[in-house]
Amino acid sequence: MMHTLSFTLTLKGVVRIHDAVLCLAKFSEVVSLEARRDKLVLTALNSSKSAYASFSLDKSVFFDKYNFNPGLSKGQTPEDAESRFTCHLYNKALLSVFKGRLGDVKDKDTAVERCECHIQERPDKTECRLIVKMVCRHGVIKTYKLTYESVEVMHALFNKNAANNTWTISASTLRSFAEYFGANTEQLDISSANGRATFTSYTEKVVNGQDVLKQPLQTSITIDNLDFEDFAVEEQLHIGISVKDFKAIVTHAETLKTSITALYSFPTQPMQLSYCEYGMQCEFTLMTIGDYRGGSVTPAPAPVRQMSAAPAERPQPLQSTAQIPPVTTLQKSTTMPPPSEPASRSFTREPQSQRIQRPSPPPPKASLDPESLFIPIDEDEDRVWGERNYDDERDMLGWDASANNASDLDGMRKGTASSSRLEPYRPWQEDLSSRIAPTQRISDIKTLFD
Amino acid sequence: MASTNEITTPLFSAVSGSARQLFQLLRCINFVSKAQVRITKEGLRFTVEESQVMQGVVVLDKALFTAYTYAPPAPNEDEDEEDAESPSFQISLSSLLETLQIFGINDVKDRWSNREIGHNGMNGFSARGGSAGVFENRVLGMNGICRLNYAAIGEPLCIILEETGVTTTCELVTYEPEYQEDIPLQKDAIAQKIIMRASWLHDAINELSSTSPTRLTIVSSPTAPYFTLSSSGPLGSATVEFTNDPQLLETFQVPRRTANTYKYTLIKGASRAMALATKVSIRSDEQGVLSLQFMIEADGGGISFVDFRFVPFITEDGEGDEESEIGEAEGFR
Repeated sequence: MMHTLSFTLTLKGVVRIHDAVLCLAKFSEVVSLEARRDKLVLTALNSSKSAYASFSLDKSVFFDKYNFNPGLSKGQTPEDAESRFTCHLYNKALLSVFKGRLGDVKDKDTAVERCECHIQERPDKTECRLIVKMVCRHGVIKTYKLTYESVEVMHALFNKNAANNTWTISASTLRSFAEYFGANTEQLDISSANGRATFTSYTEKVVNGQDVLKQPLQTSITIDNLDFEDFAVEEQLHIGISVKDFKAIVTHAETLKTSITALYSFPTQPMQLSYCEYGMQCEFTLMTIGDYRGGSVTPAPAPVRQMSAAPAERPQPLQSTAQIPPVTTLQKSTTMPPPSEPASRSFTREPQSQRIQRPSPPPPKASLDPESLFIPIDEDEDRVWGERNYDDERDMLGWDASANNASDLDGMRKGTASSSRLEPYRPWQEDLSSRIAPTQRISDIKTLFD
Repeated sequence: MASTNEITTPLFSAVSGSARQLFQLLRCINFVSKAQVRITKEGLRFTVEESQVMQGVVVLDKALFTAYTYAPPAPNEDEDEEDAESPSFQISLSSLLETLQIFGINDVKDRWSNREIGHNGMNGFSARGGSAGVFENRVLGMNGICRLNYAAIGEPLCIILEETGVTTTCELVTYEPEYQEDIPLQKDAIAQKIIMRASWLHDAINELSSTSPTRLTIVSSPTAPYFTLSSSGPLGSATVEFTNDPQLLETFQVPRRTANTYKYTLIKGASRAMALATKVSIRSDEQGVLSLQFMIEADGGGISFVDFRFVPFITEDGEGDEESEIGEAEGFR
């Protein structure tokens, strides 16, 4: 079974591939390459498998020339969906080949005129090489032979049908937000209430155990829903993603001067950010965090806290009552009275009845809860990543590991339509029975995450 | 050892109008800390050497200096070795470079001062009188006057820098010279001679760095591919290929195919010269000793040369012993 893949890029294409690879570098040190008849897909999956980035390059729009002939095994027809070539490459290697040649556009003597790539898979030559040939002015030719690893590539599955929340906004707007997020913040909470959307960056990490002042900055940016090109999000829904991923995405999107569309259902379900430009379909599937409290449907068990939208310091230890389940609330408040705090910052003293229009992002999840020592650890709570139940995975960030061996997946996920898993880019039919009713306890929500 | 009247007439003294020029040339060979300096009638010869496989030579020609006096001591006195003819010593190259840029060397500053001159002109320099006039040092291109003074063997090298009325005097300790042998290039057995723009070589060498290589292979051949530089590393391999287009390779004299391998990091050590120079002459002899000679055009218009020699890795069949003794190289004739 021998594949032939060759494609030619213009200098602009080289620069765009560089930008894409640079973005993929923020997710993983390995780039997965997948060639199909109609497109070339570059993907990366981060080490904790919580974020997945994909750049799908269209055969006719993105490339000058593109030719892929799948090597067929016995009994296969070219129409088979499996006819694809997949491999892994080191991001560093790709980056150094497609490195910033933007300067070449100007009057550099040895500017790249075109870039020809092909794979070398013939058994009589050195195998497993991606050959990149940069043809420059004056007949200078730069040839790179990059070693690749021929492996199956996994793609994240995203159920677009279940994603009832969506918004679209220009990348440059989001990029300008990202500049305000503190360097040490890790989580980004996205919420909407009363016609306004709020992006809040915060961290669960206390820099120094005792030193409240050293707690990292929390930044909230609130904008009117009208500033979005499109906005349809459930009221009061809080969803959290990683600031680092967010920054990587908006930085890349801004280079294309495009608009980003977000699609998501509810916390602990993946969120997809996507945009498409110049024949390059960019999709990012991110795992989300947050307490799913049923949004406006079910009142949250915890008091809602008032908080300014402006950057503010947030004392962490006081918020525990907000996110621990009611079972432990009583116990906790007796064992650990909160230290005195300025009233404006105190969350626990707010009257329960006071409903505030713009609640702050959900308080830190328990992963680094400074008071965890005082709280009886309930195994069923599943509030820590490591304690999640991996056996019962239904609504999950799924992986299309191999188009050829769908049966393996079926063994893992019984009850789902196996045929729909063959094509990773096809919307995925959800088994509605596995959907969790919004009135369930937090602790009953199994995290669905691979 | 120095007698009293030698203090009044130092062994060597020179004045340069541009410390920047000296700095730029010497920086090209700043890959080891100590440089060997030899004073001759024609100029100052700075030699640096790395593990006896790489050598860099900069000659600060007499013509670079506005005044250049070398008074060799009478050979009858003191020890009468050949050292007496051309005194040599070792000096810390990094300290010397630090000294030369004590007033700042960067272009930005020059631009700023040029603008200031324009401003003065607008206001009328006559009103300022004195130093701000047409004869101001900066207008004359005399900023950064640099005097070098070496009183006698064993004395420190004294560098006096002057700029806008501020004078700095630095004394750099000189060390005993080490016996040094030049890496020999057999000029009667040149296997390849290629002259090209130095920036293109620089570009090619940088391109190869992507594979984080240890070795660099240079192949030249009378048939296509004419001139290739290649390297390989853990992530893959890279090759840069040049055709023999006279626009690209100004001179291309390769009677037969040659292939030699050098240590990449050493060649990379010459990259500052590659970036600065206009042209480079790439030569190698039958034994594979590589000479890179860079032609550097100074701001004022003068031409200086920076030379590098590299010893190749021994190939499987042959051996790379160096025997003969060769002095200065003139690759651009």
